[in-house]
Amino acid sequence: MKKELEHSFVTNLEQNQNIVHKVCRIYTNDPESHNDLFQEITIQLWKAYPKFRGESKFSTWMYRVSLNTAITLYRKSKRSIKTSDFDAMDFKITAEEYDDGVEQQLKLMYAAVKQLNDIEKALVFLYLEDKSYKEIAETMGISEVNARVKMNRVKTKLKKILNP
Amino acid sequence: MDELELLKKDWQNRDAELPKLSYNEIYKMILKKSSSIVKWIFFISVIEFVLWSSIDIIVRLSGQYDELEILGLEGFSIITTILSYGILIYFIVRFYINYKNIQTTDSASVLMKNILNTRKTVKQYVWINIGFLALTTLIVILYMAFYTDAYTNQSTDQNIPIYLIIITSILVLGIFIGMLALLYRLVYGMLTRRLKKNYQELKKLEV
Repeated sequence: MKKELEHSFVTNLEQNQNIVHKVCRIYTNDPESHNDLFQEITIQLWKAYPKFRGESKFSTWMYRVSLNTAITLYRKSKRSIKTSDFDAMDFKITAEEYDDGVEQQLKLMYAAVKQLNDIEKALVFLYLEDKSYKEIAETMGISEVNARVKMNRVKTKLKKILNP
Repeated sequence: MDELELLKKDWQNRDAELPKLSYNEIYKMILKKSSSIVKWIFFISVIEFVLWSSIDIIVRLSGQYDELEILGLEGFSIITTILSYGILIYFIVRFYINYKNIQTTDSASVLMKNILNTRKTVKQYVWINIGFLALTTLIVILYMAFYTDAYTNQSTDQNIPIYLIIITSILVLGIFIGMLALLYRLVYGMLTRRLKKNYQELKKLEV
């Protein structure tokens, strides 16, 4: 019984691991922290898995547990955030893919997102993942109106970071 | 905002760059132990319950209660014992219920609220316990001062007036509680600062 549960969980997670990696990418700045957070999210997902009844999609359920772990349960390591860390991690775009202007803009955008607080990062993450305001509101446990207002504030804040 | 749309497009095209863990690597991860804040909170809370409730036992073992009996305060001693264990049991049950409510599958705000509530229960227990200890100590001191000759006998030679004894006791108690409060602010600050900040940030605007 336990073996079966383990097998179905690991298979499911293996197929959907991108979601967790993306959460780690938003919340951490170096490969070591990335792995650390991935590990903790995996444990939390596994702990919650016996109660996963398939009422929602496995991926939807994963968004919730992963974000909860990143925002609330995970104890951040004391590493200081260095700009060079995310420069190296996030921007491996080659010159053929983007012209210089766009590449530069994206670089600045990613750097700006890294400066947001935990809650704002979660909102941006769900937005980037193309989630509806209804889903964002449900995941965060706030009203849809509040989710929209908060998202607009984040957009304004990002603008300010980009054009001080 | 055009930039965010641009970012969204880029974000969704980056999946190929993400690390890819194998079945075995993920399997190894589920065998490891969690180091989440909830676990820390649980252990620290249990330690606090043990520590604070054991003060009563230490006081008993050191023979302080025998003195109460000599003074004719047996009834008082029985009442305080029942009360302090009642308080302890009540808070342990509440702590357990709150702790069981912590589910990572809840929404972020419900999860944060449940964790903060769990912590609050322990905090309340500690303060009520300290208050209770301070109050009983004070009652015993006052009783000894006004209804027995425990102090008057000793103080006649040295001429220490009763009010001075009472004021000193209150001061010592006050300083003790003040220092505890400071220590607690530091410990709690470290444990729940980020959580509180995030919860407030999330609840902002929420009616």
